[in-house]
Amino acid sequence: MNEKDKIEILKDILFTDDREFEERISKKVEILERTLNERKKLSRKVHPIIEHELEEFTKSIPQTLGPTITATLKEEIKNHKDEVVDALYPVLGKMVKKYVAQEMKLLSEKIDGQLGFLKRWKRKIKSLFFGISEDQQLLDELSSAKIEQVLLIEKDSGILKAGFTKSKTIDEEMISGMFTAIKSFVEDAFNQRDQELESIEYENYQIHLQSFVTHYIAVVISGNYSLSSKNKLQDLIFDFYHGYMAMNLDLVFETLNAEKTVVPVDRRRLERKLAQSFGNAKI
Amino acid sequence: MQKSKKLVVLGHFGVGKTSLIRRFVSDVFSDNYKVTIGVHITKKVVEISAGNTVSLILWDLEGTDDITTIRNSYLLGTHGAVFVFDVTRPSTFQNLNQDLKVVSEKLPSVPMIVVGNKMDLVDAIDLKTVLGENNIAYDFLSSAKTGDSVEDLFYKMATLLQEDA
Repeated sequence: MNEKDKIEILKDILFTDDREFEERISKKVEILERTLNERKKLSRKVHPIIEHELEEFTKSIPQTLGPTITATLKEEIKNHKDEVVDALYPVLGKMVKKYVAQEMKLLSEKIDGQLGFLKRWKRKIKSLFFGISEDQQLLDELSSAKIEQVLLIEKDSGILKAGFTKSKTIDEEMISGMFTAIKSFVEDAFNQRDQELESIEYENYQIHLQSFVTHYIAVVISGNYSLSSKNKLQDLIFDFYHGYMAMNLDLVFETLNAEKTVVPVDRRRLERKLAQSFGNAKI
Repeated sequence: MQKSKKLVVLGHFGVGKTSLIRRFVSDVFSDNYKVTIGVHITKKVVEISAGNTVSLILWDLEGTDDITTIRNSYLLGTHGAVFVFDVTRPSTFQNLNQDLKVVSEKLPSVPMIVVGNKMDLVDAIDLKTVLGENNIAYDFLSSAKTGDSVEDLFYKMATLLQEDA
Protein backbone atom coordinates (compact mmCIF):
# COMPACT_ATOMS: atom_id res chain seq x y z
CA MET A 1 0.00 0.00 0.00
CA ASN A 2 1.53 3.25 -1.04
CA GLU A 3 1.00 6.75 0.18
CA LYS A 4 -1.74 7.54 -2.32
CA ASP A 5 -3.85 4.54 -1.37
CA LYS A 6 -3.54 5.42 2.27
CA ILE A 7 -4.81 8.92 1.59
CA GLU A 8 -7.79 7.51 -0.32
CA ILE A 9 -8.71 5.22 2.57
CA LEU A 10 -8.40 8.14 4.93
CA LYS A 11 -10.63 10.28 2.70
CA ASP A 12 -13.17 7.49 2.60
CA ILE A 13 -13.24 7.32 6.37
CA LEU A 14 -13.33 11.08 6.84
CA PHE A 15 -15.94 11.99 4.14
CA THR A 16 -18.43 9.11 4.40
CA ASP A 17 -21.07 11.34 5.98
CA ASP A 18 -20.56 14.09 3.43
CA ARG A 19 -20.93 11.66 0.56
CA GLU A 20 -24.14 10.22 1.90
CA PHE A 21 -25.46 13.72 2.38
CA GLU A 22 -24.52 14.61 -1.19
CA GLU A 23 -26.28 11.53 -2.52
CA ARG A 24 -29.46 12.37 -0.62
CA ILE A 25 -29.37 15.96 -1.97
CA SER A 26 -28.84 14.68 -5.48
CA LYS A 27 -31.86 12.32 -5.19
CA LYS A 28 -34.05 15.15 -3.92
CA VAL A 29 -32.97 17.41 -6.77
CA GLU A 30 -33.79 14.64 -9.21
CA ILE A 31 -37.30 14.20 -7.72
CA LEU A 32 -37.83 17.96 -7.82
CA GLU A 33 -36.73 18.10 -11.46
CA ARG A 34 -39.12 15.30 -12.38
CA THR A 35 -41.98 17.03 -10.56
CA LEU A 36 -41.25 20.30 -12.34
CA ASN A 37 -40.94 18.76 -15.77
CA GLU A 38 -43.92 16.42 -15.62
CA ARG A 39 -47.18 18.35 -15.97
CA LYS A 40 -49.27 15.79 -14.13
CA LYS A 41 -47.00 15.69 -11.09
CA LEU A 42 -46.61 19.46 -11.04
CA SER A 43 -50.33 20.05 -11.35
CA ARG A 44 -50.95 17.67 -8.43
CA LYS A 45 -48.72 19.87 -6.29
CA VAL A 46 -49.79 23.26 -7.63
CA HIS A 47 -53.50 22.66 -8.12
CA PRO A 48 -54.52 22.84 -4.43
CA ILE A 49 -52.56 26.09 -4.05
CA ILE A 50 -54.15 27.67 -7.14
CA GLU A 51 -57.56 26.45 -6.09
CA HIS A 52 -57.13 27.99 -2.68
CA GLU A 53 -55.90 31.25 -4.17
CA LEU A 54 -58.78 31.33 -6.66
CA GLU A 55 -61.25 30.74 -3.88
CA GLU A 56 -59.75 33.60 -1.94
CA PHE A 57 -59.81 35.78 -5.05
CA THR A 58 -63.47 34.96 -5.77
CA LYS A 59 -64.36 35.79 -2.20
CA SER A 60 -62.59 39.10 -2.42
CA ILE A 61 -64.12 40.14 -5.79
CA PRO A 62 -66.94 42.19 -4.25
CA GLN A 63 -64.40 44.21 -2.29
CA THR A 64 -61.65 44.45 -4.87
CA LEU A 65 -63.41 44.56 -8.27
CA GLY A 66 -66.97 45.37 -7.17
CA PRO A 67 -66.61 49.16 -7.16
CA THR A 68 -64.84 49.14 -10.54
CA ILE A 69 -67.48 46.87 -12.16
CA THR A 70 -70.33 48.97 -10.73
CA ALA A 71 -68.75 52.17 -11.96
CA THR A 72 -68.14 50.70 -15.42
CA LEU A 73 -71.71 49.40 -15.66
CA LYS A 74 -73.11 52.75 -14.57
CA GLU A 75 -71.01 54.52 -17.18
CA GLU A 76 -72.02 52.03 -19.92
CA ILE A 77 -75.74 52.32 -19.07
CA LYS A 78 -75.42 56.11 -19.04
CA ASN A 79 -73.76 56.10 -22.46
CA HIS A 80 -76.11 53.54 -24.07
CA LYS A 81 -79.52 54.34 -22.61
CA ASP A 82 -81.41 53.58 -25.83
CA GLU A 83 -79.84 50.14 -26.22
CA VAL A 84 -80.60 49.28 -22.60
CA VAL A 85 -84.23 50.37 -22.98
CA ASP A 86 -84.47 48.38 -26.19
CA ALA A 87 -83.16 45.26 -24.53
CA LEU A 88 -85.27 45.54 -21.40
CA TYR A 89 -88.48 46.86 -22.94
CA PRO A 90 -90.02 43.50 -23.91
CA VAL A 91 -89.28 41.96 -20.52
CA LEU A 92 -90.33 44.97 -18.47
CA GLY A 93 -93.28 45.66 -20.74
CA LYS A 94 -94.62 42.19 -20.17
CA MET A 95 -94.05 42.41 -16.42
CA VAL A 96 -95.71 45.80 -16.18
CA LYS A 97 -98.62 44.67 -18.36
CA LYS A 98 -99.21 41.62 -16.22
CA TYR A 99 -98.84 43.60 -13.02
CA VAL A 100 -101.20 46.35 -14.21
CA ALA A 101 -103.78 43.79 -15.40
CA GLN A 102 -103.67 42.05 -12.05
CA GLU A 103 -103.82 45.31 -10.10
CA MET A 104 -106.72 46.54 -12.23
CA LYS A 105 -108.57 43.33 -11.52
CA LEU A 106 -107.95 43.76 -7.79
CA LEU A 107 -108.97 47.42 -7.93
CA SER A 108 -112.09 46.55 -9.88
CA GLU A 109 -113.00 43.95 -7.28
CA LYS A 110 -112.45 46.45 -4.45
CA ILE A 111 -114.57 49.11 -6.17
CA ASP A 112 -117.22 46.54 -6.92
CA GLY A 113 -117.25 45.66 -3.24
CA GLN A 114 -117.50 49.29 -2.16
CA LEU A 115 -120.12 50.28 -4.75
CA GLY A 116 -122.10 47.10 -4.40
CA PHE A 117 -124.88 48.89 -2.57
CA LEU A 118 -125.13 51.69 -5.18
CA LYS A 119 -124.89 49.22 -8.03
CA ARG A 120 -127.71 47.15 -6.66
CA TRP A 121 -129.96 50.22 -6.66
CA LYS A 122 -128.82 51.18 -10.16
CA ARG A 123 -129.70 47.72 -11.40
CA LYS A 124 -133.11 47.84 -9.67
CA ILE A 125 -133.92 51.17 -11.39
CA LYS A 126 -132.70 49.90 -14.76
CA SER A 127 -134.72 46.75 -14.35
CA LEU A 128 -137.82 48.80 -13.50
CA PHE A 129 -137.50 51.15 -16.49
CA PHE A 130 -136.00 48.90 -19.17
CA GLY A 131 -137.31 45.50 -18.17
CA ILE A 132 -133.89 43.82 -18.08
CA SER A 133 -133.68 41.48 -15.13
CA GLU A 134 -131.13 42.23 -12.44
CA ASP A 135 -129.52 38.83 -12.91
CA GLN A 136 -129.05 39.53 -16.60
CA GLN A 137 -127.49 42.92 -15.87
CA LEU A 138 -125.16 41.39 -13.34
CA LEU A 139 -124.04 38.80 -15.88
CA ASP A 140 -123.47 41.49 -18.52
CA GLU A 141 -121.32 43.49 -16.13
CA LEU A 142 -119.17 40.55 -15.28
CA SER A 143 -118.65 39.13 -18.73
CA SER A 144 -116.04 41.23 -20.42
CA ALA A 145 -114.43 38.39 -22.35
CA LYS A 146 -113.95 38.94 -26.07
CA ILE A 147 -113.64 36.47 -28.91
CA GLU A 148 -110.47 37.17 -30.87
CA GLN A 149 -110.23 34.19 -33.18
CA VAL A 150 -112.21 31.09 -34.07
CA LEU A 151 -110.82 28.09 -35.94
CA LEU A 152 -112.71 25.07 -37.21
CA ILE A 153 -110.15 22.27 -37.33
CA GLU A 154 -110.24 18.69 -38.58
CA LYS A 155 -109.51 16.63 -35.47
CA ASP A 156 -106.97 14.06 -36.68
CA SER A 157 -104.98 15.90 -39.30
CA GLY A 158 -105.17 19.37 -37.75
CA ILE A 159 -106.14 20.77 -41.14
CA LEU A 160 -107.96 24.09 -40.89
CA LYS A 161 -111.43 24.00 -42.41
CA ALA A 162 -112.28 27.64 -41.77
CA GLY A 163 -111.08 30.51 -39.65
CA PHE A 164 -112.29 33.84 -38.40
CA THR A 165 -110.02 36.39 -36.76
CA LYS A 166 -110.34 39.96 -35.50
CA SER A 167 -106.64 40.69 -35.35
CA LYS A 168 -103.77 39.64 -37.57
CA THR A 169 -101.88 36.59 -36.29
CA ILE A 170 -99.40 34.17 -37.80
CA ASP A 171 -100.67 31.73 -40.39
CA GLU A 172 -103.93 30.16 -39.20
CA GLU A 173 -103.12 26.80 -40.76
CA MET A 174 -99.91 26.60 -38.74
CA ILE A 175 -101.76 27.58 -35.55
CA SER A 176 -104.31 24.83 -36.24
CA GLY A 177 -101.55 22.29 -36.69
CA MET A 178 -99.83 23.38 -33.51
CA PHE A 179 -103.05 23.28 -31.46
CA THR A 180 -103.67 19.78 -32.76
CA ALA A 181 -100.13 18.69 -31.90
CA ILE A 182 -100.42 20.10 -28.36
CA LYS A 183 -103.84 18.51 -27.95
CA SER A 184 -102.57 15.13 -29.19
CA PHE A 185 -99.49 15.34 -26.99
CA VAL A 186 -101.42 16.12 -23.80
CA GLU A 187 -104.05 13.50 -24.49
CA ASP A 188 -101.31 10.95 -25.23
CA ALA A 189 -99.23 11.96 -22.24
CA PHE A 190 -102.05 11.32 -19.80
CA ASN A 191 -103.11 8.25 -21.73
CA GLN A 192 -106.71 9.39 -21.60
CA ARG A 193 -108.31 8.46 -24.87
CA ASP A 194 -111.79 9.36 -23.63
CA GLN A 195 -110.78 12.79 -22.31
CA GLU A 196 -109.97 15.91 -24.29
CA LEU A 197 -107.81 18.94 -23.70
CA GLU A 198 -110.33 21.70 -23.12
CA SER A 199 -108.34 24.87 -22.72
CA ILE A 200 -104.92 26.45 -22.94
CA GLU A 201 -104.07 29.56 -20.93
CA TYR A 202 -101.66 32.05 -22.42
CA GLU A 203 -101.14 35.12 -20.20
CA ASN A 204 -104.06 37.38 -21.11
CA TYR A 205 -105.51 34.90 -23.56
CA GLN A 206 -107.47 31.75 -23.05
CA ILE A 207 -107.87 29.19 -25.82
CA HIS A 208 -111.05 27.20 -25.54
CA LEU A 209 -111.06 23.88 -27.37
CA GLN A 210 -114.41 22.26 -28.03
CA SER A 211 -114.11 18.76 -29.45
CA PHE A 212 -116.59 16.93 -31.62
CA VAL A 213 -116.26 13.60 -33.37
CA THR A 214 -114.44 14.59 -36.52
CA HIS A 215 -113.63 18.24 -35.85
CA TYR A 216 -112.89 20.59 -33.00
CA ILE A 217 -113.30 24.32 -32.63
CA ALA A 218 -110.59 26.48 -31.07
CA VAL A 219 -111.64 29.89 -29.79
CA VAL A 220 -109.08 32.45 -28.64
CA ILE A 221 -110.54 34.71 -25.94
CA SER A 222 -109.13 37.80 -24.33
CA GLY A 223 -110.25 39.38 -21.08
CA ASN A 224 -112.00 37.89 -18.10
CA TYR A 225 -113.09 34.45 -19.21
CA SER A 226 -115.51 33.38 -16.52
CA LEU A 227 -117.70 30.33 -16.20
CA SER A 228 -120.69 32.26 -17.53
CA SER A 229 -118.60 33.34 -20.57
CA LYS A 230 -117.67 29.71 -21.11
CA ASN A 231 -121.31 28.67 -21.03
CA LYS A 232 -122.26 31.36 -23.54
CA LEU A 233 -119.36 30.47 -25.77
CA GLN A 234 -120.27 26.78 -25.70
CA ASP A 235 -123.82 27.67 -26.75
CA LEU A 236 -122.42 29.66 -29.68
CA ILE A 237 -120.12 26.81 -30.65
CA PHE A 238 -122.87 24.20 -30.46
CA ASP A 239 -125.18 26.39 -32.55
CA PHE A 240 -122.48 26.91 -35.15
CA TYR A 241 -121.51 23.26 -35.26
CA HIS A 242 -125.12 22.20 -35.56
CA GLY A 243 -125.41 24.50 -38.58
CA TYR A 244 -122.16 23.15 -40.00
CA MET A 245 -123.33 19.56 -39.71
CA ALA A 246 -126.65 20.55 -41.30
CA MET A 247 -124.75 22.07 -44.22
CA ASN A 248 -122.79 18.82 -44.59
CA LEU A 249 -125.96 16.75 -44.47
CA ASP A 250 -127.56 18.97 -47.09
CA LEU A 251 -124.56 18.39 -49.32
CA VAL A 252 -124.65 14.65 -48.76
CA PHE A 253 -128.32 14.54 -49.76
CA GLU A 254 -127.70 16.73 -52.80
CA THR A 255 -124.84 14.46 -53.77
CA LEU A 256 -126.91 11.32 -53.31
CA ASN A 257 -129.61 12.67 -55.56
CA ALA A 258 -127.14 13.72 -58.22
CA GLU A 259 -125.02 10.57 -57.85
CA LYS A 260 -121.86 12.60 -57.46
CA THR A 261 -118.99 12.40 -55.03
CA VAL A 262 -119.38 14.32 -51.76
CA VAL A 263 -118.28 17.93 -52.10
CA PRO A 264 -116.98 19.48 -48.90
CA VAL A 265 -118.56 22.67 -47.62
CA ASP A 266 -117.07 25.68 -49.37
CA ARG A 267 -114.50 27.35 -47.10
CA ARG A 268 -115.68 30.88 -47.85
CA ARG A 269 -119.23 29.95 -46.97
CA LEU A 270 -118.01 28.45 -43.72
CA GLU A 271 -115.97 31.52 -42.89
CA ARG A 272 -118.99 33.75 -43.47
CA LYS A 273 -120.92 31.55 -41.06
CA LEU A 274 -118.12 31.76 -38.50
CA ALA A 275 -118.07 35.55 -38.76
CA GLN A 276 -121.87 35.68 -38.40
CA SER A 277 -121.88 33.40 -35.39
CA PHE A 278 -118.87 34.77 -33.51
CA GLY A 279 -118.10 38.21 -34.99
CA ASN A 280 -120.36 40.32 -32.80
CA ALA A 281 -121.16 37.77 -30.15
CA LYS A 282 -120.91 38.91 -26.55
CA ILE A 283 -119.78 36.33 -24.07
CA MET B 1 -108.95 25.46 -55.69
CA GLN B 2 -106.34 25.16 -52.92
CA LYS B 3 -106.29 22.05 -50.79
CA SER B 4 -104.47 21.65 -47.48
CA LYS B 5 -102.58 18.43 -46.87
CA LYS B 6 -100.82 17.15 -43.78
CA LEU B 7 -97.33 15.91 -44.55
CA VAL B 8 -95.21 14.24 -41.86
CA VAL B 9 -91.43 14.20 -42.12
CA LEU B 10 -89.85 11.40 -40.12
CA GLY B 11 -86.61 9.50 -39.63
CA HIS B 12 -83.80 8.88 -37.17
CA PHE B 13 -82.08 11.56 -35.05
CA GLY B 14 -80.01 14.15 -36.88
CA VAL B 15 -80.70 12.98 -40.42
CA GLY B 16 -81.61 16.52 -41.49
CA LYS B 17 -85.42 16.55 -41.43
CA THR B 18 -85.63 20.07 -40.04
CA SER B 19 -82.89 21.29 -42.38
CA LEU B 20 -84.74 19.89 -45.40
CA ILE B 21 -87.94 21.66 -44.33
CA ARG B 22 -86.11 24.92 -43.60
CA ARG B 23 -84.43 24.76 -46.99
CA PHE B 24 -87.78 24.10 -48.68
CA VAL B 25 -89.88 26.65 -46.75
CA SER B 26 -87.41 29.47 -46.10
CA ASP B 27 -84.53 28.58 -48.43
CA VAL B 28 -82.00 28.73 -45.60
CA PHE B 29 -79.49 26.29 -44.11
CA SER B 30 -77.57 26.32 -40.86
CA ASP B 31 -74.81 24.01 -39.63
CA ASN B 32 -75.99 24.48 -36.04
CA TYR B 33 -77.84 21.36 -35.05
CA LYS B 34 -80.84 21.91 -32.79
CA VAL B 35 -82.76 18.84 -31.83
CA THR B 36 -86.52 18.94 -32.52
CA ILE B 37 -88.60 18.28 -29.44
CA GLY B 38 -92.08 16.96 -30.06
CA VAL B 39 -93.15 18.42 -33.33
CA HIS B 40 -92.63 21.61 -35.30
CA ILE B 41 -95.18 22.76 -37.82
CA THR B 42 -94.63 24.90 -40.89
CA LYS B 43 -96.49 25.49 -44.10
CA LYS B 44 -95.75 26.05 -47.76
CA VAL B 45 -98.05 26.45 -50.70
CA VAL B 46 -96.87 24.54 -53.78
CA GLU B 47 -98.15 25.41 -57.21
CA ILE B 48 -98.71 22.23 -59.22
CA SER B 49 -99.96 23.99 -62.29
CA ALA B 50 -101.45 27.39 -63.09
CA GLY B 51 -104.14 28.10 -60.50
CA ASN B 52 -103.75 24.63 -59.01
CA THR B 53 -102.06 24.73 -55.62
CA VAL B 54 -101.57 22.46 -52.62
CA SER B 55 -100.98 23.88 -49.17
CA LEU B 56 -98.52 21.55 -47.46
CA ILE B 57 -98.76 21.57 -43.67
CA LEU B 58 -95.39 20.10 -42.73
CA TRP B 59 -95.16 18.19 -39.46
CA ASP B 60 -91.50 17.90 -38.57
CA LEU B 61 -91.51 15.04 -36.06
CA GLU B 62 -88.73 14.61 -33.52
CA GLY B 63 -86.15 12.06 -34.59
CA THR B 64 -86.08 8.64 -33.01
CA ASP B 65 -83.74 5.68 -33.26
CA ASP B 66 -86.66 3.33 -32.92
CA ILE B 67 -89.35 4.13 -35.48
CA THR B 68 -91.90 2.04 -33.58
CA THR B 69 -91.87 4.66 -30.79
CA ILE B 70 -93.23 7.47 -32.99
CA ARG B 71 -96.27 9.00 -31.29
CA ASN B 72 -99.28 7.63 -33.16
CA SER B 73 -101.40 10.67 -32.42
CA TYR B 74 -98.99 12.79 -34.50
CA LEU B 75 -99.62 10.52 -37.46
CA LEU B 76 -103.42 10.70 -37.36
CA GLY B 77 -104.98 12.16 -40.49
CA THR B 78 -101.68 12.18 -42.38
CA HIS B 79 -102.00 12.61 -46.13
CA GLY B 80 -98.35 12.01 -47.05
CA ALA B 81 -95.02 11.04 -45.48
CA VAL B 82 -91.37 11.75 -46.19
CA PHE B 83 -88.90 9.31 -44.61
CA VAL B 84 -85.40 10.74 -44.34
CA PHE B 85 -82.12 8.89 -43.74
CA ASP B 86 -78.57 10.18 -43.50
CA VAL B 87 -76.32 8.83 -46.27
CA THR B 88 -73.22 9.39 -44.10
CA ARG B 89 -74.51 7.26 -41.21
CA PRO B 90 -75.24 3.63 -42.07
CA SER B 91 -77.07 3.22 -38.75
CA THR B 92 -79.86 5.40 -40.18
CA PHE B 93 -80.42 3.18 -43.23
CA GLN B 94 -79.18 -0.27 -42.25
CA ASN B 95 -82.69 -1.24 -41.17
CA LEU B 96 -84.44 0.99 -43.66
CA ASN B 97 -86.69 -1.68 -45.13
CA GLN B 98 -87.82 -2.71 -41.66
CA ASP B 99 -88.38 0.96 -40.69
CA LEU B 100 -90.41 1.58 -43.84
CA LYS B 101 -92.52 -1.48 -43.10
CA VAL B 102 -93.31 -0.07 -39.64
CA VAL B 103 -94.21 3.32 -41.10
CA SER B 104 -96.42 1.72 -43.78
CA GLU B 105 -98.26 -0.19 -41.09
CA LYS B 106 -98.80 3.00 -39.12
CA LEU B 107 -99.79 4.92 -42.25
CA PRO B 108 -101.59 2.50 -44.55
CA SER B 109 -102.42 3.79 -48.05
CA VAL B 110 -100.49 7.00 -47.47
CA PRO B 111 -98.04 8.02 -50.22
CA MET B 112 -94.46 7.99 -48.97
CA ILE B 113 -91.19 9.31 -50.34
CA VAL B 114 -87.83 7.97 -49.14
CA VAL B 115 -84.96 10.46 -49.10
CA GLY B 116 -81.25 10.03 -48.47
CA ASN B 117 -79.98 13.36 -47.17
CA LYS B 118 -76.48 14.95 -46.76
CA MET B 119 -75.56 13.92 -50.29
CA ASP B 120 -73.00 16.73 -50.41
CA LEU B 121 -70.79 14.84 -47.93
CA VAL B 122 -70.25 11.66 -49.93
CA ASP B 123 -69.23 10.48 -53.36
CA ALA B 124 -72.39 9.82 -55.40
CA ILE B 125 -71.08 6.72 -57.19
CA ASP B 126 -69.73 5.10 -54.01
CA LEU B 127 -72.98 5.83 -52.21
CA LYS B 128 -75.14 4.30 -54.91
CA THR B 129 -72.99 1.17 -54.77
CA VAL B 130 -73.33 0.93 -50.98
CA LEU B 131 -77.09 1.49 -51.11
CA GLY B 132 -77.44 -1.04 -53.91
CA GLU B 133 -75.44 -3.62 -51.97
CA ASN B 134 -77.67 -3.08 -48.95
CA ASN B 135 -80.80 -3.36 -51.08
CA ILE B 136 -81.90 0.17 -50.13
CA ALA B 137 -84.53 1.66 -52.39
CA TYR B 138 -84.82 5.43 -52.28
CA ASP B 139 -86.71 8.08 -54.22
CA PHE B 140 -84.34 11.04 -53.84
CA LEU B 141 -80.80 11.74 -52.74
CA SER B 142 -80.80 15.27 -51.42
CA SER B 143 -78.71 17.91 -49.70
CA ALA B 144 -80.35 20.46 -47.46
CA LYS B 145 -77.01 22.29 -47.48
CA THR B 146 -76.77 22.80 -51.24
CA GLY B 147 -80.52 22.54 -51.87
CA ASP B 148 -80.08 19.62 -54.29
CA SER B 149 -83.37 17.76 -54.92
CA VAL B 150 -85.13 19.47 -51.99
CA GLU B 151 -87.64 21.38 -54.10
CA ASP B 152 -88.11 18.31 -56.33
CA LEU B 153 -88.99 15.90 -53.55
CA PHE B 154 -91.61 18.15 -52.00
CA TYR B 155 -93.01 19.02 -55.41
CA LYS B 156 -93.26 15.29 -56.16
CA MET B 157 -95.11 14.77 -52.88
CA ALA B 158 -97.46 17.69 -53.59
CA THR B 159 -98.24 16.14 -56.97
CA LEU B 160 -98.94 12.74 -55.39
CA LEU B 161 -101.25 14.37 -52.85
CA GLN B 162 -103.02 16.32 -55.55
CA GLU B 163 -103.67 13.11 -57.49
CA ASP B 164 -104.72 11.39 -54.31
CA ALA B 165 -107.32 14.07 -53.44
